[in-house]
Parts: sequence; C-alpha cells; structure tokens
Amino acid sequence: MPSRPNSSFNSLSDSFTWQADDVVFPLTSDVETGLSGVVACKTAIGCIDPAAGTLSYRGRDIESLTGMTFEEVAFLLIVGADSETDQVKFTQFSEEIRKARNIPPQVYDILQSLPKDTHPTRLLRASISALGCFEAQLNDSSATQIAWQDLSIFGQIAGLVGMIAQFRGGKPSVRSNETDGIAESLFIALNDKTPTATEVKLFNLVLSLYADHGLDAPTFTGMIVGSCLADPYYNVVAGLSALRGPLLGGTGERVLRQLLNLRDAHVARSWAKTMLSQGYIIPGFGHRMYRQNDPRAVILREHSEKYAASLGHERLLNVFRAVEDEVSPVLADKGIHININFYAALIFHMLGSEPEMIPCLYAVGRMAGLVARVREYVTANRIFRPLGDYVGPPEHHFVKRSER
Amino acid sequence: MIGGSIPANRQTYGRGFAGLVVGESAISRIDGETGRLWIRGYPLEELCDNADFEEVAYLVIHGELPSESEYNEWCSELRIWRDLPQEAMHVLKQLPEHAHPLMKYRTMLSVAACVMSEGENSRIDAQWKRPARILAWTAGLAAAAIRHMSWKEPIHQDPSLGFTDNFLWQSLGRVPSKEQRQAFEISLIAQSEHSVHAAALAALVVISTGADLGSAVLAGMGALSGELHGGANQRAFEMFNSFDNASQARKWVEERVTQKYRFPGFGHRVYKALDPRVKVLEPFAEQLLTEAGKTHLWGNYLAVKNVIEENLGSKGIFANVDAITGLLYYPIGLPVASFPIPFALAIQVGWMAHCLEYIPSGKLIEPAAIYVKED
Repeated sequence: MPSRPNSSFNSLSDSFTWQADDVVFPLTSDVETGLSGVVACKTAIGCIDPAAGTLSYRGRDIESLTGMTFEEVAFLLIVGADSETDQVKFTQFSEEIRKARNIPPQVYDILQSLPKDTHPTRLLRASISALGCFEAQLNDSSATQIAWQDLSIFGQIAGLVGMIAQFRGGKPSVRSNETDGIAESLFIALNDKTPTATEVKLFNLVLSLYADHGLDAPTFTGMIVGSCLADPYYNVVAGLSALRGPLLGGTGERVLRQLLNLRDAHVARSWAKTMLSQGYIIPGFGHRMYRQNDPRAVILREHSEKYAASLGHERLLNVFRAVEDEVSPVLADKGIHININFYAALIFHMLGSEPEMIPCLYAVGRMAGLVARVREYVTANRIFRPLGDYVGPPEHHFVKRSER
Repeated sequence: MIGGSIPANRQTYGRGFAGLVVGESAISRIDGETGRLWIRGYPLEELCDNADFEEVAYLVIHGELPSESEYNEWCSELRIWRDLPQEAMHVLKQLPEHAHPLMKYRTMLSVAACVMSEGENSRIDAQWKRPARILAWTAGLAAAAIRHMSWKEPIHQDPSLGFTDNFLWQSLGRVPSKEQRQAFEISLIAQSEHSVHAAALAALVVISTGADLGSAVLAGMGALSGELHGGANQRAFEMFNSFDNASQARKWVEERVTQKYRFPGFGHRVYKALDPRVKVLEPFAEQLLTEAGKTHLWGNYLAVKNVIEENLGSKGIFANVDAITGLLYYPIGLPVASFPIPFALAIQVGWMAHCLEYIPSGKLIEPAAIYVKED
C-alpha cells in the first residue's frame, strides 16, 4: 500500500488520507455531516483505502487472509499477533473462546421465554444482556479480568447466535464437538448436520471478511460506550443496537429476502430493470466509502462462483449474477458498486441461514473488530464528548401553564 | 449534524472530540465559562423552581412548554404505558441478585424490545409515539430492578400518583416526605438534558442507522453506566461516605489533589466553572441530609469540594452533577448501587430529543480512524 513518508495527520487539506506515520491531536480537518472527515483516533487494526479499493487487517491485505479460520483472523485483529508464530498464545485464545461458547442454562431458559417470532438480533441483544448479569461478579477493574471478559463476550456472541438458530429452527439433534471452531458449530446450529470442508472454509471466510471495517456504527457506538469505561456487556448491547439498522446489518437480510423470490436469471433481470426504472434502492449496492469495488465483495463473488454449483445453489447464483449484471453498468457511473452484503447473502444462504439470521451472523464476525477497537481505544482513553452549536430560542422566561 | 448543518466546515479538535462542534441543535445551551444551562431557552433554575418533570420532559422533546390540554394528554399517555411487559418482569425473576440494577434494567428493556411488533420497532414515523412509552416503561422496569436488589417483589403502579411519586412509590414501597419528593423531582429536571454528551452521541449514532428510539436509549444507557459518566455518581457518593468526618476527608483529598488523582464527580469537559445543576441541588442535599441526621456526609462533601476547588479551581475543575445527586438519593432511601438509575431516567429525555431532532436529516454517522502502522 502507498504510504506517505513522514506524513503526520494533524493538518489535512483537500484529500482525506487514511493512513499516516502518526496522528497528532489537536488536529484540523474538514467536518461534514455524519462526522464524515472527522478523525476519531489512530488505529493499528484495520486500514481502508477507498481510493485504491483495498482493505487490510493489521497491515495484511484481506486477500491474503482467505485461507485462515475465523479464530485466526480474530486473533490477528484482537491480539495483533500471528497465530502461526505465536502458537502458545493462540491456543490460549482459542481455548478461552471455546469455553465462553458454553452458555449457562439460565440464559437458555430466558431465551426460551421470549416470543419465537422476535427478530433474532433482538433475541441476541436480550440474551447477551442477560448473560452479562450472570457474569457481573467478574466486573472488577483489573486489566486481566477485563481482557478476559472481552474475549468471553466474543465467544459468547457466537454461542448465543448458535443457540438462537436452534431455538428458531427447533432442531438441536446434532451437537457440535468441543473441538469445533465457531464456523463448524454455527453451521451445525443452522443445519443440524456436520459441514463439509468447503462449507467450513466458506463460513470462516465470510465471518472473517465481516470482522472489521473501520468505525462503522456498531463499532463506533461500542467505542463511545467503552470510552466511558462501561462494563463490556454495555458496549456490546449498544453495538448490537446499532447493527440491525436498515443501513447496516439489515442489508444482507434484505438482499436474500428479495432475491430468493426470483425464480431464475430471466426473472431476476426484469426485476432489476423494474427496480432501477422506478428509482428503488437495490440492497447490496453502494458503499459510503468505496467508489469502486468493495474488495470483500470481489472475494465473495469469486467464492460464490466457485462453490455454488457443488453446493446445489447454481440457480440462485445465476439470479445474483443476473441482478449484478443488470444493475452494475447502470450504477457504476455513479460510483455505486456491489458491497460485501450482496454475495455474503448468497453465501449465508448456501450455509443454511434464513434471511433473518444474517444480521446475527454479521454480528459474530464484527465482534472481532469491535472488541479489538474498543480495547485499543481505551488503552489511551479519552471520553467522546463533542459540542453542539446552539441554534434554539434566546433566553426567555417561564410562564405558568394556566397562562400559556 | 444534530438536526442541522455544521457551522464551521473546517475545525480543530482534540482527542475524544474535545472542542469539536458536531452540528446545530436547538435543545440546550451550555455556557461553560459562567456555568449556566438553558433548556429550550429557559434557564435551568426557572424550570426547577416552577415546572414538574412531566412538563420539562415535554419541553425537551417537543421544544415548547405544553398548554393545559397538551399537558393533560401527555400525562395520560405516560400513565397508559405504566403497565409493564410481563416478559420483562418474568426475566427479572431469573436474573441473579448480585448483578448491578442498571444491568438488570438494561436486560429488561432489551426483553421489552422483543415483545413489540416489528413494524413498530423500526418505522421512523413511529418514533414520535415512542417517548411516552419509553419513559413510563423504563421507570417501572427500573423500580422493579431496584427492588430486586433485595429480592423484593415489584409493586404495582398507583394511577393517582404523578411520574416522580409513582417511581419512588414503586421503588421504595412508600411515598417519601414532601421535601424528599420535591428534591428528587428537581434532580430529574436538572438532569433531563445536557447537549451532546457521550451518551447522547452514542444514542445519535444508533438512530443514524435507522434503528428505533428504544435501541438508541439502550446505547445511551451503556455509555451512562461507565464510571467516567453516570456511574460516577455512585462512586462519588462512596467516596464521601468512606470518611468518618470532614477533617479525615480533607486530609485524604489533600494527599491526592496534587497527584493528578481523578476524583469521581469532579471536573467536566464543558464546565470550567461550578456546574449549575450542582448549585440547584446543593440546598436540597443539605436539607435532606440534615433531616436524616447525616450531617457528617454534608460536611464530608464540603470538605472534599473545598479542597479540590481551592487547588484545582484555577484549572477549571469543580464539582459536577455526579458529585451531588447521591447525597440526595441516599437520604431518600434509594440503594447506593441504584444511583445511576434516576440519572438514566432523566437524561434519556434529552437523548430522545436529540434523536428526534436528528432523524429528518439523518445521515449515517461514521467518523474515521487513521491507520498508523505499529512499530
């Protein structure tokens, strides 16, 4: 990746730089709505280069991470180390996560008392919040305890999502092994059968590609809450509150729900044409940052094409391809391309997920980045407390209700 | 950003967005230099002297004080929603006693969000109908969580009581004295809105994703729970309560005041003078502590405050609202661990107002992190 020599980020003019040799506060930048252009922190975790259309985790391009398990990618993001060279630490890390995936039965009872038709993201938020109450005795401020708790939550989210999938599907006959990774156990929870090597590979890939992406709303919300030195369960509940919004985690769900209805490539084309001509937004297209292909979408398209037929989803692949072929040429001129959620929806379907579960699976992936970034921020913590520009009425005085 | 454009496009700011103006807002104005706060143009002190909490909540959310009929309608809406979702009450029984009441309250609110229909959950135009329900539900759920700390059964609401009295009734099982009720209500008014503090920012980020108002409130609550934020009122009280007398308090503070020690409840990003909410609440704290025979706590507070302000006042470090509220809630009989809850109940009014102000212009909030390679 290009790096500007000796560029320190404290005075930025026309073009926004996403990497620098250092970031020195106070700094000056152009501020736009939605905090666009505002620098919240420096980071060593992930780097997005919208101009080049690249994404890297801890300095490694995501294209080089496609053969790794999700745990290995999470270890890279959270601990900042390589699972191959730091094997002892990685084993400990995996062990902590695996233990955390065993959810206490009391939390399962609570989950079962909730209405089954509740959206899974809400079930997830309620159950992680409840789980936090059971973990409360760990809430003392020693650094190792907090680090332990972060890792637990990361594993617990994966465990809870599996539990929710089984709760909804009502098919818990096949149990995952102690030694299974997150990908295997989630596949089993979704399908009630053990996965093939290809399915495990795809599951790891899609979770890994969702693992980190700058300060998106769930991550940034978690960071704000973390900056107040809240218990990590509050960060996660807050992060999950931001995740489901239609602009974020809900996208993959909508992609799948809409495209599943299309019978074949022909129908898909005419559907896409109609959507475009009537000015509808097509889910899975467009990204605030990338003005060219989302690098994650490129990887997921390749893998969809490679494996859809062997997994019995050729027809749906053709539907996705047809929609992309129809929409891309029209929107490309406007800088709108497919984003990660488009082919991720297809792959999640290939892995046995119904549309409603997709935001929860997104959450399993994104927890790695959220945990990593909250931890990084609080090591040099400063509470997020900006100012507003008051534009309301001038001082006036109280009038009794009867005289208003 | 918060409902309007950004006044200066190019800005210089510190870490934690210190000094960054994130947008226009018509809700409150803070003058940090003189220590003054106006809510929708009304000086805080006038609202505390004249209005009740329902009226101020209406003002914060809708922008104007209610007329007689608007007030009656708002109060009856707040009453309608006092019946709590049974799923949430059921889950409370399954939670361990030792968990912090704010965590139980968070869990109950998350469960309550599961029993609302989906359409209601995420439709933007539905959000305006939400504040009354959120306020009424949170008060009832919080009261149940407070009682659960000592395994006490929840108490049913009393429709003859207003918001404040009913919350205290449902939390304590008794309606406290007139002075206590008044002090508590004024503490709610004083904490009902405070510009874009961290919790409001968290709520705004959530609402900017198109999520519902209840989700935004849950995020705000998360930020507020932190010890640098609302959790500070519990910690400040524990500090005052740890001294036998004022001279011991003075000595303890003197030993730390030059050591860059962070005293909970002291110092504020925006106020470089005494927090106006402290000024309003101090006389009530003194009165209630005296009536309760706890004058030593008042003495401890003054001793800590005086030493800190003598030494650090020139650096702009004064008592903030978290220093004083515990000294009100304690004589009323609320358990110490529950002190952040009234703060959450009050200030969520401000979060909701900021969210409703933001929704029309609602761009997704996403700042940048600049990648710096690790050594």
